[in-house]
Amino acid sequence: MAARAGWSMSELPELNPVIHGKLRLALLSLLTTVEEAEFTWLRARTGSTDGNLGAQLAKLEEAGYVSVEKKFVQRKPQTLYRMTEEGRRALAEYVQALKQLLGTAIGT
Amino acid sequence: MQEETSAQDLRERLALIESMIAEGRRRTQSWGWVFLLWGVAYCVAIVWSTHGRDLSVWSSADSLAWPLTMSVALVVTMIIGIRKSRGQPVTTVGRAIGAFWTCVGISMLVVFPTLAISGRLDEHVFVALVAAMLGAANGASGMILRWKWQVACAIAWWVTSAAACFGSVARATALFLAAIFACQIVFGIYAMILEARRGGTRGVVHV
Repeated sequence: MAARAGWSMSELPELNPVIHGKLRLALLSLLTTVEEAEFTWLRARTGSTDGNLGAQLAKLEEAGYVSVEKKFVQRKPQTLYRMTEEGRRALAEYVQALKQLLGTAIGT
Repeated sequence: MQEETSAQDLRERLALIESMIAEGRRRTQSWGWVFLLWGVAYCVAIVWSTHGRDLSVWSSADSLAWPLTMSVALVVTMIIGIRKSRGQPVTTVGRAIGAFWTCVGISMLVVFPTLAISGRLDEHVFVALVAAMLGAANGASGMILRWKWQVACAIAWWVTSAAACFGSVARATALFLAAIFACQIVFGIYAMILEARRGGTRGVVHV
């Protein structure tokens, strides 16, 4: 596609593969709007299944883009997710790269 | 990776980011019931303190009208508030508004009993102070949320505050009741209708 659109591969910005997955991108975008969010809230907002959501959040945690806190509230387990500074930076860079690629696509 | 990425796919990614940010910012917490509850509580306290001695069931207890009604309203607000906010994310805006209302509530809890004990609390001072504090809380919330109806409520409270300083006690009470009806009961019901309408649509995101 890139070649078809006339993009030079050397000029193209890299899209971060960790963020590029749709659910991971949705999760990071959601987490930018809140200080912290529960697993159940993220599940409700994305309409994802427990297993898929857990797996994608684990990948984001592994990359250092989200931090996890597990605690008990009134004897019920609660898992809270926060976006890290590294995550914010990575998402900002991803959006920048995305806009740059789109600009190139529109310009060709 | 980019070789497999079409412009359409990139646009979809950008739209996904925008929609998720909008979804996250959507106010999911419902607070309309609080306005309604406190509006009803103010009315109960006013009726009780004004006409309590005429009703045998409340005889000799009308001095407790405000402290008791406000305490019950506070406990109910805390219990329902904690239950309703469970599972909701913490946002900076939400925390700022919550902190402001809490501080206004604490100010009222400090100043009114103190004025009553010192014997310096009369009906004009009471209505003017309550209305000014509610004006401040509604004004700040309305400006933060950019909600013109809440700012309008704040203006109504400030007008009530100024007007309560003049005229008879009956006039100040009537003004107070009118402001409670418009800015607590009607506004609370309006907020609850908006919250109920908003409740629905949720997107689904796949990997």
